Amino acid sequence: MDQTYSITRHVCPRNCYSTCSILGYTKNGHLQKVTGDHKHGYTKGLLCAKGYNYINNVYHPDRLKYPMRQYPRGSGQWQRISWTEAIDIIAGKIIELNHRYESNLSLALNKYSGNMGILHHAMEGFFNGLGKTSRAVGNPCWSPGMDAVYYDYGEHQTSDMQDILHSETIILWGINPVWTSIHSLNYIYEALRRGAKVITIDPVYTETAKKSDTYIQIKPGSDGALATAIAKYILEHDLFDREFIDQYTVGWEELRDYIDQLSMEEALNQCGQTIEAIQFLAERLAKHRPVYIWMGFGMQRHRNGGQNIRAINALAAMTGNIGRQGSGAQFGQRATWKFTYHILNPFPDDKRNKAGVRPLDINDFANDLQKQQDPPVKFLWITCRNLLTQSANVEELKKALQTLELIVTVEHFMTETTQYSDLVLPATTQFEEWDIVASYWHHWISINQPAIEPYYESKSELEIARLLSKKLNEYKDHFSAFPTDMEDEQFIEQEFTDEFYQALHIKDWRELLNGPRRVDVQKTAWGTMEFKTPSGKIELFSKQALDNQLSPFGMGLMENGSNPLFPYILLLNHEPFRINSQFQNLTSFKKISREPCIYLHPLLAKEKGIQRYSMMKVVSEKGEITIRANFSTDLNQQTLVIFPNHPLVNKLISFTAADMGKVMTSGKGNALNDLHVNITKLC
Amino acid sequence: MAKKLGFLVNIERCIGCHACEISCKSFYQLEPNMRRRRVQELPEDVVGTPVRAFVSTACNHCDDPACKKACPVGAYTKREDGIVVHNQDLCIGCQMCGKACPYSVPMFNPVKKKMDKCSMCYDRLDVGQLPICVEKCPLEAIQIVDYNEVQPANAVSEIPTFADTSITHPTTHFILHKPGKQSRRF
Ligand code: SF4
Ligand code: SF4
Ligand code: SF4
Repeated sequence: MDQTYSITRHVCPRNCYSTCSILGYTKNGHLQKVTGDHKHGYTKGLLCAKGYNYINNVYHPDRLKYPMRQYPRGSGQWQRISWTEAIDIIAGKIIELNHRYESNLSLALNKYSGNMGILHHAMEGFFNGLGKTSRAVGNPCWSPGMDAVYYDYGEHQTSDMQDILHSETIILWGINPVWTSIHSLNYIYEALRRGAKVITIDPVYTETAKKSDTYIQIKPGSDGALATAIAKYILEHDLFDREFIDQYTVGWEELRDYIDQLSMEEALNQCGQTIEAIQFLAERLAKHRPVYIWMGFGMQRHRNGGQNIRAINALAAMTGNIGRQGSGAQFGQRATWKFTYHILNPFPDDKRNKAGVRPLDINDFANDLQKQQDPPVKFLWITCRNLLTQSANVEELKKALQTLELIVTVEHFMTETTQYSDLVLPATTQFEEWDIVASYWHHWISINQPAIEPYYESKSELEIARLLSKKLNEYKDHFSAFPTDMEDEQFIEQEFTDEFYQALHIKDWRELLNGPRRVDVQKTAWGTMEFKTPSGKIELFSKQALDNQLSPFGMGLMENGSNPLFPYILLLNHEPFRINSQFQNLTSFKKISREPCIYLHPLLAKEKGIQRYSMMKVVSEKGEITIRANFSTDLNQQTLVIFPNHPLVNKLISFTAADMGKVMTSGKGNALNDLHVNITKLC
Repeated sequence: MAKKLGFLVNIERCIGCHACEISCKSFYQLEPNMRRRRVQELPEDVVGTPVRAFVSTACNHCDDPACKKACPVGAYTKREDGIVVHNQDLCIGCQMCGKACPYSVPMFNPVKKKMDKCSMCYDRLDVGQLPICVEKCPLEAIQIVDYNEVQPANAVSEIPTFADTSITHPTTHFILHKPGKQSRRF
C-alpha cells in the first residue's frame, strides 16, 4: 500500500526533549499521514499525540494562507495583501527608519523557540546582515541551569538514555517525562525491569511520580535545600566517595566546612521533608550506585534556580555519581550542536554599519523596549513565538507595542500576538521546507525535507529573509548582507564541517536523507572525566561564580522569600498536549484536555470557601485574574498549578531575576516559579 | 480451536499519552473529531487513592456484539478469530450500532455519512503486522492476546467506568496499576 505514497523525512522542530524524526506520506501533493521514523535511535519510530496530529495542524481550517494586513492595528480588520506589497511595506519602513535615525537600531527582533531548526535562524541572520540592530536576548527556559552546569563542569553534556539501563537508582528530580518526554519512559521501564528503583522528587505528585517506586514531595524551589540536607546526612555518616572527590573535584574542603555550619533542622524545614526521607535518599545515592539523576527545568525557574542545579550536581559528585556508566546529573546538552551557524553571520561589507546587537532582555522585554531612547525601537519583527501569551509584564508590553510604527509577525495561525501586529506573514510548516534539527537532550540529528508545496502563499523564513534582503538592496546597494542568491540546500551545506561529518560518520549532509544520525559524543556524560572548568575538575567551590557575585559553594540554603500577603506559590507546569501556546487549536486535543483552570488542593479550597469548577480570584504583586478552580490532591496545601499556555497567567507575572543565566545565555532567567499569590473565592 | 483475539491493556504501563489514539487517527485519516480508540483518566477509586491512572480502549470485539445485533443491513460480521468487522460499503449510516453498543464505540463519520469503528487492524494482523496502536504505544501497554490460548496473570475484565460486561461479553482485559511509596508531608 505504501508504494503509492511518496515518503519524506521530517523533524518535529518544537521545543521538546524528543525532537522526533517523522516520515510524511504524500499522495497527489497532499500530505496524507505521518508516522515516526524507525531509523531514529532514540525515538525509534514513535511519536507523541502532538506528532501524529500534525496533519490537522498543516491542513487546519484556520491556517494562514496569505500575507495579511491589519489596519488599524488591533481593529480586527484584516485585508489580504500580496507578498510584493508586504515586502514593500516592510522594506519601506526599514529604509525610512534608517534615514530618520541614521542607524538600524530602531529595528528589533524577538524570536524564541517555536521552531528550533537551524535554518530558522534566518531572521537573526537577516538582522545581523543589517549591522547593529536591537534584539531580544536571553532565554526564558533554562538560563540559570545552563550557568550552573557551566560553573560545575565547564560545558553541557548528557548521557545516552541507554545508559540508564546500568543504573541501580534513578532519581527523576523535578521532571515529569510522562508529560514532557514520553520516549524516555521506555528506557526507564526497562531499567525498572532490570531491578532499578525509580524515585521522583517533585512538589507535585505528577503522572511520573505515580509510576515511580517512591515519591518524595518537597516545597517548590527547595531542591537545593533538600540536596543540602542529604549532603549533611552523607557527611555525618561518612557516606561520601572520598576517592572520587580527591581525584575529580576541587573545593571539597571549603564546601564541607560550609555545609557543616548549616542547620539540618533549617534544611528540613525549607524542603518540608523528614529525616527518614533524607536518610533513604542518602543511602540510595551512596549505596545503590550508579545513580542516574535527571533534573527538570522547573526547579531552576526560581530566584535560587541556578543554585538548585549546582546543589544537585555537587550531591552527585560527592557520591561519585558522575562520569560512570549509569550515573550522572543530567540537565541538557549542547555537545551535538556542532553547526557552523554561518546562517547567523552574513556580516555587512558596509563598514559604517558595525554588526552586533543592542540587547533587550527577553525576560524583561516590555520594560527594555520602553527604555530605549536613542533611538527608540520603532519596528518589531516577531517570529517563532507567541509573544503576547508567553511574556511577563503583559500590560506594559501592550503599552510598549503602541509606540511602535510597524509590527510584523510570522505565523501559521492568528494568535493573541497577531492582534497586536500590522502585518502577518504566513509561514511554512516542517512539511513544506528544508531544515536540520538537533536536540538539547539526545544525540541525534535529523534532516527535514519538503513533502508538499507551501500551503497557499506561505513561505519559509529563509525565503522571507532573502526576499526582504533583495528588496532592500534594490533601494540601496549593500544595505543588507543576507545572501539573496543561495539556495536552501546551500544554507544547509554551509552548516557542516569535516569534523562534524566525521562525528556523524557521513561524508555529505544529503546522507541524512537516508535517516537521522547519531553524533559521536561520549555515551556517558563526562565519561573521560575531562572537565572544561578552569581547574579541569568538577568545581564544588567555583571562583568563577564568586567573581560573578554568586555564592562560590555548590550548595546552600535558601533566603527567606516568603511574603505574608501572598502566601501561596503558583507553579507553571507544562501539560502533555501543548507546547506553550502551540497546538492550542486542534479539535482532538480540545477534547482531551479540559478548559484551562487552576488546580488547588481541596482542603485549601474548603478553607477558602471555593467550590470546584467555580470561579476564583488569584492575586499576585503584579495583577489579578479570575479563573475556574479545579481540585487536585497531587498538590500540597500551599501550592497551586496552572498550565503556562493559559494567556491569563501573564497578568500575574513580572520579571523576577533568577540568580544565574548571564554567562551562557546573555541574561538571567525569569524566576517564573517564584510566583507568590493569594486566592479568594469570587463573591 | 478458533481464536478469541482481544486487547490486553496494561494500566500499570500506560502513561496516558494518547499516542495510540492519535496514531490510529493519523493512519486511518479520520476526520478531526473522530477516533477509534480513546484514552480516559480513571477515577481514583479504581486503583485506590490517591493514585490515578489512564485506560485506553477501542472496540472490545465482544463475544456477543450488540452492534452486530442492532445493524439492520448486516454490516457487522464476527470473524473466526473474534474480530468484529464493520463493512462500510454496506453501512447505511443509521447509527443503530452506535446506540446499541454499551461502550459507544461505533462513531458517525459526518463526511462519509457512515459509521466507523476499530477493526483491530485485521488487514495488518492478516499479514503479520501489529495493529497501529499496539505498534505505536511508546510503552507497549497494549497487546493483542488470544484469550482461548492464554489467561494473562493479573488481568481483569471489569473496571469501574467500564459498562457491565454481561451484556456483550467484551474481550478486552486490563492489568491494574500498583501504587508506589510516598513521602508527603508539610
Ligand atoms: S464494543 Fe461495541 S462496537 Fe465493539 S463489538 Fe462490542 S458492541 Fe460491537
Ligand atoms: S486496533 Fe487498529 S483500528 Fe483499532 S484502535 Fe488500534 S489502531 Fe485503531
Ligand atoms: S499510547 Fe500507550 S501509554 Fe500512551 S495512552 Fe495509549 S496505551 Fe497509554
